[in-house]
Amino acid sequence: MPEYTLEFGKYGARGIRGSEAVFRRLDDLAGFIVSPVESRRGLLARLHYLTRTDHARAAARAAGLTVTDRTLKAWLDGRQRPTVRNLQRVEDAYRTVRRHNVAQHLLRRLNSRGGTRVELHPLNQSQVPRPRQRVLEYRSLNIRRWDRIVQAWSAGDADALDDAWIDQIVDLGSQWGQYEYVTNVGFAA
Amino acid sequence: MNGPHGDGPHADGPHGDGPPQKPGFAAVDALLASAVEQEPLPPAEQRRALRESLGLSRAQVATALGVGPSTVGGWESGRDPSGEVRGKYAYFLDAARTKLQEAQAAQTRPCVLCGGPATDEVEGFPQHLDPQDCARAAAPAREPEPVRPEPRPEAQAPARTTAPRPTPVRKPASGQPAPEAELIERAVEKALAEHEGDVEEATAQLVRRAIPDAMALLDACRTGGRYDVIAHPWVPDILRKQSSRGSDSIWEARPKWTRTELPPGTHEVTALDINGAYLSALKTHLPIGQLEHSSGFGHDRRRAGVHLITPPDWHHDPYLPNPLGNRDEPGPLWVTEPTLRLLLRLSGPKYGLCEPPEIHESFTSGATENLLEKFRAALRDARDKAIEAEDETTVEYVKAMYSKFVSTMGESHYNRELYRPDWMHLIRSQAFANLWMKALRAHEQGLSVVRVMGTDELHVTGDWRRVFEEGRGVLEVKVKDVYTLGSDDAAGLTEEFPDA
Repeated sequence: MPEYTLEFGKYGARGIRGSEAVFRRLDDLAGFIVSPVESRRGLLARLHYLTRTDHARAAARAAGLTVTDRTLKAWLDGRQRPTVRNLQRVEDAYRTVRRHNVAQHLLRRLNSRGGTRVELHPLNQSQVPRPRQRVLEYRSLNIRRWDRIVQAWSAGDADALDDAWIDQIVDLGSQWGQYEYVTNVGFAA
Repeated sequence: MNGPHGDGPHADGPHGDGPPQKPGFAAVDALLASAVEQEPLPPAEQRRALRESLGLSRAQVATALGVGPSTVGGWESGRDPSGEVRGKYAYFLDAARTKLQEAQAAQTRPCVLCGGPATDEVEGFPQHLDPQDCARAAAPAREPEPVRPEPRPEAQAPARTTAPRPTPVRKPASGQPAPEAELIERAVEKALAEHEGDVEEATAQLVRRAIPDAMALLDACRTGGRYDVIAHPWVPDILRKQSSRGSDSIWEARPKWTRTELPPGTHEVTALDINGAYLSALKTHLPIGQLEHSSGFGHDRRRAGVHLITPPDWHHDPYLPNPLGNRDEPGPLWVTEPTLRLLLRLSGPKYGLCEPPEIHESFTSGATENLLEKFRAALRDARDKAIEAEDETTVEYVKAMYSKFVSTMGESHYNRELYRPDWMHLIRSQAFANLWMKALRAHEQGLSVVRVMGTDELHVTGDWRRVFEEGRGVLEVKVKDVYTLGSDDAAGLTEEFPDA
């Protein structure tokens, strides 16, 4: 499509891809545990979340936390500390499981009452030379069906999310390409 | 002629006696003769009074008549029903009036002046308050007594020693209440109906729902607005909390000041409480869009936001608090627009209390004072009305709406519809700046300011009634406490305030 940005930032524009902003915003709404996994409190909270039921254990295993039950118990009792690589695995598994668990509730809220209004805040062009600056307005649009977006997010698939997001912002009209990169995407759920 | 039937095609010519009868007009005459005589209806203003005096809602009447509630509202504000439903409505009004008169007659006792039925009492004696009523009561065919207002209280009240402050002119309420005001009324009615009149339960439920209801009210106030409420802009790091429980880098200039010494002698101190401080503070210059960074450009009155300033020195601490609050650390700090404007105002030629602050950098956006104005006016009117009607449920509900709206409009998880930490800081600072200006006014009028605390606490000595009105309105103050300070020496102060 001709509207796609080819060399973003060549003249000093700053921003992030719209789909990345959506990913961050959905993560904010999902509400992860705030304490970092490196702290004992944060680690224990994540491990408790991942081992509370058999179902949760199976989900954690499927999400890549492939350690034995013995090791998990040792971590929980504090007899042993996970290695740096395993800490990262705990964190990744926790995020994946949490996203999966939250997704259906989030989806219901986003789709309810005729969809959710999304604010698009245009990219920052304060560092762009004056002649190359363009008039960019704040825009908003209503998204009625969030299924594909939430599904891609809960699977952690950035490319699928990008496709789903572009399909939605095409509704902005012929100028949608100006909003491929943004400073922020805001919506509530 | 008052209706479609009477106002026929021959309305310009009399048809009864004037023109000679032609054969073609017979059909017209027959039609006119067949047109039903319209039932007379009482004037529009009485219709509503009649319905309300029976305690019936518009919806109830509308259901009984088979029309919509807004149609009944239209009839009550001046339109006339026609056709079949007019007969029904006239019957309803007639029956309502009869019922009302019976109820009144049951309460009335004979007037001591004329012997007719009287509803008013003066010092235990039933009597008419107006000689015309006596004459009317004596007449055999008695007119229905229109609902008269109570005698005006200020007529009997003793003359005030001071001239009352002129009340600000507000737009007169038109026939229909504004949709946003109706939103509040309807929520209260519904909660009371759900809990079958249990006021405490209903209040608790309303307070729990205050945040979503405030957002719905804000949405209703946005219709026809000039500016969009931008709810999720990018926020600079200084406005982000450092940790989930921590705070950001903005100094809101909350006052916390106690006078260190008073002149010798005893002083009677009055603790005054400012009503609805956060409600009034909703009127402030709010940045509309995303904050943009700038540095070294001085102050632009058309923009608002947060500013990094080096505050000026303050030399009036013995009798006036520092407008920045009691900050311990020296050096530059991030303040909000209301604090900066207060400092600029105080450094101006009118006051000349300090040097102007030095602005280093700013995050600002184009600003307006009117963004929340309709919202504030709706809440204020609902509050005033509820106070007049002594409706504590609505007062509590309105209070919960505006206070929770302000406290959760930042990064709070209780309100995800609005992420504006900048607005939250600005509104709070505006409340503090308003309190500071009240302290200055008290000081300029010759009162001694003893203590300025939080958002709404102002302790003064002297005759404060010269300066402030007492009452529950947003422009008035409330007395919280009266206490005595000091003895022969000024040592009493430190006993009273160990933290001073």
